[in-house]
Amino acid sequence: MSIKKEFLKGLVEKNPVMVLGIGLCPALAVTTSVSNALWMMIATTFVLTCSNVLVSLVKDYIPSHIRIPVFITIIAAFVTVVEITLKAYQPEVYTSLGIFIPLIVVNCIILGRAEEFASRNGVFISIIDALGMGIGFGLTLTILAFFRETLGANKLFGYTLIPGFKPAGMMAIAPGAFITLGLMLWAMNRIMVSRKHKK
Amino acid sequence: MKDIIKPAAVLAAVTFCASLLLATVFAVTKERIAFLDSEAEKNALAIVLPGYSITGTAKTKDNKIYWVGEKTENGETINGFAFISESPGYSGTIRCMIGVDSNMNILGISILKQTETPGLGARSVEIASKNTFWDVITGSAVDEGIQFPWFQQQFAGLNGNKTVQVVKNGDWTPEMASDLVSQNAVSAITGATITSKAVVDCIHKGISEYNDIIKNSNK
Repeated sequence: MSIKKEFLKGLVEKNPVMVLGIGLCPALAVTTSVSNALWMMIATTFVLTCSNVLVSLVKDYIPSHIRIPVFITIIAAFVTVVEITLKAYQPEVYTSLGIFIPLIVVNCIILGRAEEFASRNGVFISIIDALGMGIGFGLTLTILAFFRETLGANKLFGYTLIPGFKPAGMMAIAPGAFITLGLMLWAMNRIMVSRKHKK
Repeated sequence: MKDIIKPAAVLAAVTFCASLLLATVFAVTKERIAFLDSEAEKNALAIVLPGYSITGTAKTKDNKIYWVGEKTENGETINGFAFISESPGYSGTIRCMIGVDSNMNILGISILKQTETPGLGARSVEIASKNTFWDVITGSAVDEGIQFPWFQQQFAGLNGNKTVQVVKNGDWTPEMASDLVSQNAVSAITGATITSKAVVDCIHKGISEYNDIIKNSNK
């Protein structure tokens, strides 16, 4: 089990959004701007890392039939910490991400990693796994948000790109998100297939 | 018996630790959050009652708070009132603070809370910066000072006794201002007519609710 492999699997081979198809709700909902996507990456990676550390620490003391409520309690506690902290120190981010901050609790990536990885592995490697998965999730969101913000609002980080240009409003709403994600999946699969052929 | 006690003890321990963590974070951030809330209220009042000093708050029969402000103009003291109103928007409730003078002329509005579609309805709280992305990264951005969202700016100076019309003129420009004021109308946000109408509804609702209170307080 190499560190590099555990880290990179979250980015490409087992990318939560693009390959596993989980965490799609925040991926579609908060990607209207790049800064939202980046904050979502920070919040999710923080919760994921903390929950993975705790789960891998307590895994030997938890009777297996109550592990899910215990994991959820741990995750919910960290999500609430993120929520209160953002409210106090980044109120703009808090209003802009809105309901999707508390909804990190039900993000399948976090419970999925607790169940599949952290409850079976040591602390250190669980941190690496969490960072890889969190950043893999966040990077996908950021790329998606880049296309949606530039095409759907003619903006980047809230500033206009081409003055006077009328953006495609559809990219800012849900259908635009689905279409962009679909094209990204196509591009990624295309690259993966041609790589395999070369080998 | 052991199958019951151990899981229960583990769950109790975990929830106890979680509560302890949350209580600590809450205690640390409590003052800061209260401070930010009062700042937000102060900023909103400064927008809806420009130039007025707030002299106090009062309560309606339904226990809703409204603010009373006053300023001196030509040696006379005039009163202004600010209140909060809510109405359903395109997605979720829109909450506005509205400032009026004693003749029900709208002095300003401020949208306190909205969850409209980003890029469409959420543009009701958007500040239109003239700086482009390239200006910002090349460092040639101009400091534009404090700005207000253009959609909300339109409401200042309208007559609250009459119905505020919503017209589809495309996005507001300063040139439209005098025309719109004479029609007692606001220009809707492109692609977000429902949000624009919801904000206007919110204002109508608030004004009809507080109309009697404000008119009576003049006597």
